Amino acid sequence: MFIFGVAFSGNVEDVKVIVVNSDEGVYDPRSNGTLNLSEMITSNLDRDTLNIQCGSDEEAATKSVEDGKAWAAIIFPQHFTQDVMMKMQGGPSPGNAAITIRADKGNVNIATAVINSVAEAMMETMDEIGKETPISIVDSPVYGENAEFIDFFVPGIVAFAIFLLTTLLTLLSFVGERTNGTLDRLLASPIQGSEIVAGYALAFSIIGMIQAAILLSVGTLVFKIIIVGNPVLAFLVIALLAIVSVSLGILLSSAAKREAQAVQFLPLIVLPTFLLAGIFWPIQAIPAFIRPALVYNTADLRC
Amino acid sequence: MENDERQIAVETRQLTKRFGKFTAVDNLDLKINRGEIYGLLGPNGSGKTTTIKILCGLMKATSGEAIILGGKAGGSSIVSRTGYMPQETALYLDLTVHENIELFGEIYGMARTAISKAEKELLKFIELEKWRNSTVANLSGGMRHRVSLICSLLHNPDLLLLDEPTVGVDPELRASFWDYFNALRARGITIIITTHYMDEAHHCSKIGLLREGSLIAEGTPEDVTTLAGTKSLEDAFLVLAGRGTGRGIC
Repeated sequence: MFIFGVAFSGNVEDVKVIVVNSDEGVYDPRSNGTLNLSEMITSNLDRDTLNIQCGSDEEAATKSVEDGKAWAAIIFPQHFTQDVMMKMQGGPSPGNAAITIRADKGNVNIATAVINSVAEAMMETMDEIGKETPISIVDSPVYGENAEFIDFFVPGIVAFAIFLLTTLLTLLSFVGERTNGTLDRLLASPIQGSEIVAGYALAFSIIGMIQAAILLSVGTLVFKIIIVGNPVLAFLVIALLAIVSVSLGILLSSAAKREAQAVQFLPLIVLPTFLLAGIFWPIQAIPAFIRPALVYNTADLRC
Repeated sequence: MENDERQIAVETRQLTKRFGKFTAVDNLDLKINRGEIYGLLGPNGSGKTTTIKILCGLMKATSGEAIILGGKAGGSSIVSRTGYMPQETALYLDLTVHENIELFGEIYGMARTAISKAEKELLKFIELEKWRNSTVANLSGGMRHRVSLICSLLHNPDLLLLDEPTVGVDPELRASFWDYFNALRARGITIIITTHYMDEAHHCSKIGLLREGSLIAEGTPEDVTTLAGTKSLEDAFLVLAGRGTGRGIC
């Protein structure tokens, strides 16, 4: 119940974004200084939701999003304030009075939180200057154009299915070896304990990888989930998860003497993982102090 | 001394195993000659299975030592000369009798031809030829026990450690098992068998009565009944156990 509460009660926060502000501003005769709307909007961005870093180059910022180092790049063009002011005065606007958001929409909830934060900051800025402005937001995602909730949900389910099936299969098989006496017979033979563990890890990892290939195929072919990157890399991420799950299953089996004990690990290990892996709810919405212990595999798969 | 080593299959000196404060095996001294059927007898919890597990290298003793076939218990050269049949049937139920035999043969490093030859001979010996290709899950409990015995004998061990092989086995099969054990003894194999069925002790050439991890009497079944002054081994155990720390070695 506690874990459920932790997993589902938070707001999205600490989303790393890069603000690329090339806006030169305009001369403001009222203050006899420079009016820079982009700076005002940036200062009004919600710092709880967004972890703002400054960038100078649009390409570099976009690359950071592509590489998964940031969730979005918020780009203000060079003549942003000037274009906004011209539009406000009803004059021609050769440039574009728009903020471009280049987001990773692999996680729809986070991308929406970024866009909402920018829109709110924009409204707040307009209130401050007392005018309605024609600023628009151009949503130009780096990943996941036209992404829907299923594109967010299915990769999580694929990762979780591999984790659950492989951990459980290994755990129950190893405990089964113990309860029916075959483990004792193997350990009393010339083969080493490490060889038994290695054999298990190899066999169940192969099974896990076959499951991974099937699930990934169903996800892409049946549910048409978007894979922008290399599908082989997506497979390798799940295959790695399968190997880790086998190891976890073997580790847990050492603490269980019977199948009934092994099943008790489900609510203790598997359920918290399920809730805290970002399958239903972004990891960024889970309290920051728990995040270092969370499972990031689901997030790696959403690309 | 060298003659002793050739004659003695198993020797334990002050063998002790503790689990926390509980002492499962308490200063056990055994000397078992080659070619013997040695019965470790005692009620549940007397330390029989723990002793067998130490002898086959599955458990480490807290103190004392166990020498098997001239080497340290659990040593790699020793385990390949030892056959172990656990209390459970210890077989892969989804595999056939043949596949189980083949698997355990390969685990003991046997060549395919050697496995094939041993399998043929043992299936005939244990009277399971008809069931070679049956899945173990479809066999009766008695038949599974027999397959388990085959898997323990496959690599032609010098020492066979049998942990309660007759538990849950019907009287007819129990009688067959003892026929097999006697035939194996005739081939020169040393057998150590644990049981809590006192009536089975008469099949053993030597028995050791265990109580709370300690050896309370040892000798031929006749020696033990004579020592206790009783007609049956069951009564002998009760009399000797009632003597507390009293210990009779015949």
